[in-house]
Amino acid sequence: MKPLGSVRLGWLCCLLFALDTMLPLSLLNAAQNKPMLVELKNGETFNGHLVNCDNFMNITLREVYQTNSEGDRFWKLKECYIRGSTIKYLRVPDALLDAVKEEQNRARDAGRGARGSFVSGGGNRGRGAISRGSRLPSLFCV
Amino acid sequence: MRHNFCPLGSLIFSVFKTLTDQQVTVELKNDLSITGVLKSVDQFLNIRLDSIKVLDEARHPHMMAVKNCFIRGSVVRYVQLPSEHVDTQLLEDATRRGAPT
Amino acid sequence: MSSLQGYVDRRVLLILQDGRVIVGVMAGFDQKSNVVLSDSKERIYSIDEGVEEIPLGLYLVKGDMIVLIGELDDAVEQAVDLATIHAEPIPPIRY
Repeated sequence: MKPLGSVRLGWLCCLLFALDTMLPLSLLNAAQNKPMLVELKNGETFNGHLVNCDNFMNITLREVYQTNSEGDRFWKLKECYIRGSTIKYLRVPDALLDAVKEEQNRARDAGRGARGSFVSGGGNRGRGAISRGSRLPSLFCV
Repeated sequence: MRHNFCPLGSLIFSVFKTLTDQQVTVELKNDLSITGVLKSVDQFLNIRLDSIKVLDEARHPHMMAVKNCFIRGSVVRYVQLPSEHVDTQLLEDATRRGAPT
Repeated sequence: MSSLQGYVDRRVLLILQDGRVIVGVMAGFDQKSNVVLSDSKERIYSIDEGVEEIPLGLYLVKGDMIVLIGELDDAVEQAVDLATIHAEPIPPIRY
């Protein structure tokens, strides 16, 4: 497989993902200022409000309660930074799911109206993937 | 994405692609073994299996209600292939050609 | 990596590297196999007691923690009483 071909394939995959899947990073972005629980691969947990995040899932939390992996020691931190690669999972408020879905529908409808002709020329079955094009480049920071 | 640029990585990927719709047994790094029909594979060697069966089901009832699954390539220890569907001569030749000198 | 596409909006079972089993509805995923589960529950297995389910809600699991994602057959799920299932937990992965 030639490198150029695989880069194109990557683009195509991203477009397909953007069609109707909720991206984990969209959910995380929508969770700014919301409470969340983060467990690290070493079992430590962090409870706090999300201040900021990036495409590597590096995050900053504020007003944090840190718990060790045994669950018997606690620390209170004013703010902390967590490297994305050390995270096992994040728990976020249930209400975010509907918020993100609504936002995606709105963005898709807006894009369909504004740039519909471009979308149908893109060979992606004209379902409005490009409407979220502003978010696509962020997917390439693998 | 590394596999795209690695000749041997894409070779194994190709071998797996030729084995779609064959029965394989995947042993995972958590010691679970799963038999099923190979439905698809991607460049990370992630695997989709259909009509799965877990070996020693009495001990591992966790997947009773699971009929098809996605297995992450990075947690696969072994894949047992149907030997009649692997052209080992072709594979050896391709490996020699693809190996760095 | 389109192989997770068929699981979107289905009830799935996730096995994680640390041996945890989580069930939920797959709301989304990306090319690193990070996964979003809604209405998720952890299933805790033990020899002495039946399966215990702990509600977790909306969950984002990093792809590198995932071992397996299986589609749940609702008919089989409904036919099984989890309280009667006694089993060892799934071991964590070893390299």
